[in-house]
Amino acid sequence: MSIKMNISPVFLQYTNNQRVVEVEGTNVGEALDHLTNKFPSMKNWLFDKKSKLLDHINIYVNGHSAYPENLGKPIKDGDEISIIFMVGGG
Amino acid sequence: MLTDYEKAKYNRQIMIPGFGEEGQKKLKRACVFLAGAGGLGSAVATYLVAAGIGTLRIADHDIIEPSNLNRQVLHWDKDVGQKKVDSASRKLRQLNEAVTIEPIAETIASDNVSRMVAGCDIIVDAMDNLPTRYILNKAALEKDIPFVYGAVYGFEGRVMTIIPGKTACLNCLYHGAVPPRGVFPVIGVVPALIGCIQATEVIKYIVSLGELLTNRLLVYDGLSMKFTELHADRDPNCEHCHQVERSGN
Ligand SMILES: [Zn+2]
Repeated sequence: MSIKMNISPVFLQYTNNQRVVEVEGTNVGEALDHLTNKFPSMKNWLFDKKSKLLDHINIYVNGHSAYPENLGKPIKDGDEISIIFMVGGG
Repeated sequence: MLTDYEKAKYNRQIMIPGFGEEGQKKLKRACVFLAGAGGLGSAVATYLVAAGIGTLRIADHDIIEPSNLNRQVLHWDKDVGQKKVDSASRKLRQLNEAVTIEPIAETIASDNVSRMVAGCDIIVDAMDNLPTRYILNKAALEKDIPFVYGAVYGFEGRVMTIIPGKTACLNCLYHGAVPPRGVFPVIGVVPALIGCIQATEVIKYIVSLGELLTNRLLVYDGLSMKFTELHADRDPNCEHCHQVERSGN
């Protein structure tokens, strides 16, 4: 099983400077759980207190948005997941 | 009509296949609304003015602070304390005397945005906060004016072009509540680069050249020096797009 998760530079401090993290799971939710089990401080940056994905976080699977399924979006071996957070600076 | 001086000044871009004097005339007739005279705005304004855009209308209510100077290159040490639109207008008028600069020293809000963008051919988002971007997105859709989104954070940037009623809008891209305005980290080269991509989109749109960055979110990561393109689809339930369709636009 090999699913790659691309980590934004903003989060590198929470993933031991790992830009790409290998994760496991059959859907986006499981893959993110795998990530946050590995790097627990990522949890607060992705989920609210009710474990709902934060509004300003978008998940892409192979370049396509996981919305509206989001956490339930199925994934398979070889997929590439990107965590994109909403940016507002100018 | 282009004067001999204009033909000489813009010669190198007129030479580009498909651009020509016709393209230059289109630029000369165009009006661009630039929301923000900060980091992104400095790059967008500088290159659109140098390219000979007819009118650049710039809205920004901010006063220049020292913390702006690492990236907002239209503003210099001696300008701290002045209005950004005044400082920007002064520099831009010297850069290209033929361009009409229309400064608006007001806060962009739901109740004045419509008046501000009226008569413009395209809107460029160079804001420093998300709530105003949503106001602009909505106004662009309502008034059927193309909108070029750009944003930065640290070494990262994002760009996407929105053609109302045809391509994914900002609200199709980011759903739900918008995080409030806050202080963000950034290095000047990032808004410079993202702003230049936005200006490229504006020029292409006005001159009708190439392919626009529509239904594609361009993500720039300066640290790994990678550009990633993500598919952006129109959200059939998007409230912003819906409102426009309901109102018959
Ligand atoms: Zn939309």
